[in-house]
Amino acid sequence: VLEDNGRTPSGVSYVLENRVIMKRVFPMLFGAYRVRRIEDYPYNLLRTLKHCAPVHADEPTVAILTPGVHNSAYFEHSFLARQMGVALVEGRDLVVENSFVYMRTTAGLRRVDVIYRRVDDEYLDPLAFRHDSVLGVAGLMNVYRCGNVALVNAVGTGVSDDKAIYPFVPEMIRFYLGEEPILANVPTYLCARDDDRKYVLENLDKLVVKATNESGGYGMLMGHQATKEECRAFGEKIKSDPRNYIAQPIVQLSQHPSFVDDHFEGRRVDLRPYILYGEKPIVMPGGLTRVALRAGSLVVNSSQGGGSKDTWVLEEEAARPVNGQEKSA
Amino acid sequence: MSQPSMTSTGEAVATGFELDRIPRPVLAREADSTYWMSRYVERVENVARLMLVSVESLLDARDLAPKLLERQWQSVLRIMHVPLPSDSHEPMPQRVSTHMTFREDNPSSLIASLTRARENARGIREGISSDMWEHINLLYWNIRSEEARSRFNEAPAAFLQQVITGAMTFHGITDQTLPHDQRWYFAQLGRHFERIAFTCRTLQDKLALAAAQTAPGDAPLRNVQSVAALRCCNSLEAYRRAYPGELEPSTIAGFLLLEGDFPRSIRYCVNAARGAAAAIREEVRPRSVDLAERTLGRLQAQLAYADADEVLGRGLSAYLDQIQEQTGQAALAVQKCYFLH
Repeated sequence: VLEDNGRTPSGVSYVLENRVIMKRVFPMLFGAYRVRRIEDYPYNLLRTLKHCAPVHADEPTVAILTPGVHNSAYFEHSFLARQMGVALVEGRDLVVENSFVYMRTTAGLRRVDVIYRRVDDEYLDPLAFRHDSVLGVAGLMNVYRCGNVALVNAVGTGVSDDKAIYPFVPEMIRFYLGEEPILANVPTYLCARDDDRKYVLENLDKLVVKATNESGGYGMLMGHQATKEECRAFGEKIKSDPRNYIAQPIVQLSQHPSFVDDHFEGRRVDLRPYILYGEKPIVMPGGLTRVALRAGSLVVNSSQGGGSKDTWVLEEEAARPVNGQEKSA
Repeated sequence: MSQPSMTSTGEAVATGFELDRIPRPVLAREADSTYWMSRYVERVENVARLMLVSVESLLDARDLAPKLLERQWQSVLRIMHVPLPSDSHEPMPQRVSTHMTFREDNPSSLIASLTRARENARGIREGISSDMWEHINLLYWNIRSEEARSRFNEAPAAFLQQVITGAMTFHGITDQTLPHDQRWYFAQLGRHFERIAFTCRTLQDKLALAAAQTAPGDAPLRNVQSVAALRCCNSLEAYRRAYPGELEPSTIAGFLLLEGDFPRSIRYCVNAARGAAAAIREEVRPRSVDLAERTLGRLQAQLAYADADEVLGRGLSAYLDQIQEQTGQAALAVQKCYFLH
């Protein structure tokens, strides 16, 4: 396990679109390999969202909250809205009245019961968080506290994304579930601990250092590729704010044959699975294989020039969904 | 996917399909964007055709009156209420045609209208069909592509015809892929309001040009102008079938104003707009009449019982002004009632 994502399961539209393209290009492979279907993800997502609805809503109205067309993930928001047949709303489409949240429709206000929000915590409600947010809905958090709207995912789940929380997750599994983690974590040094920090500063060239609250491949140092000067500068940053950094040994991500120009070359990949948890957990039999398109690179984030691949879980291997076989386009 | 449920008599019934289900509400913003998306596409078609007619009909008129060339292109600007571009010293045709095609700072240019149509579509991608989105996206990138300008310069008529066909195809795709519910009716409203305004302005301008040619020797020129008016409104063939061999400006005006079942006539568009306004109101507030519907209903009745000679006798231009004012009021009423909650 490289990291935990408890905020936004982004990238799922790529998973579904990759599959559509693969089916179009290699239709014959799918019958022969008995690839498990992932196309019911939007249906499962909608069911999960409805499950979260407040008790008063018999026929809950679900909406996806998007920051708008200028957001880099807007395609995904609109894709999911289209797939689920629910409204795609922006902050300006919603209004709070009498501790309920409504959307402005042509027929006046209509109550919204479940918001699948793709807007970050800080921007969700200018009255509760950032005052200058124009993406959110004033008063939304109050409605949430009254139990009159469900927010998915809940505010604050980002705690689990914090990379300084990550090393404690195996302990959480043991404590709360009484089970042993199936997949191991990468050994992690917390710069907030004196011993760890000392080790990190002495071995910067062998480690990957990451800012705890960043994502998308920003704010990180790949020790073995960095110059002396970069290492020194990063060391200063760590010293000035140790809580903000963790370090890990460099994980040699799996290699995977990838089609480059006119032949195959090895490229690094990782796998992002998608899990829905409503009535019961549903693990999508597939996932997003992210690939570092540059030769030798270990950074797979799409914002850093990474790509993605369709990911297959075969019928016979249904018992081990996370270790599914990957095929590249 | 739905589970069968039991009725009181113990019969299992499928609950998946319900004819009386409550339709998913339409966001005010979605309605607004649908309306403008459709309206801008209609504008693209009209502007492209206006230019196409200028490009082509001038080939006929060149020997008859060299000055006409300039007047024709100026009329393109007049009809679209665009001021003459002053920052260019090209001859009139090139000056106007580039201005109306590729200039982004001219809100009536093809590229500006297409950009806004696409922006509106982009904000409601989940509310329109994928076919609609893909088509409008294609039109947008076509006019933005690098070779668009050279295609336009080499063969302007072919370029414009392609834009026209693209816009008409978009409406066709809309009709065949969007359920004919509220959203579709908002698209209808946008399209017909735009067409009414365009037809009114075109008639006012082109027929005034034709009517100015009163001397007996001017007959060929007058005919060129009359045919141009009909072509700008894509009505030449339908008109010829209705009035073979007749090119009187007053007959043309009567046809484009009052013909009942021709989709380019003003009366037809008013009927269609009223029908759309009524259908939306029926879905949102059954058993009531709103201002838009009332305004359009009155206009519809007025056109249904109008007498062509009477209208022309009292002055066509004033009558067209009045129609534009009334449709303007109806458009405002729609915006107030449905877009601004």
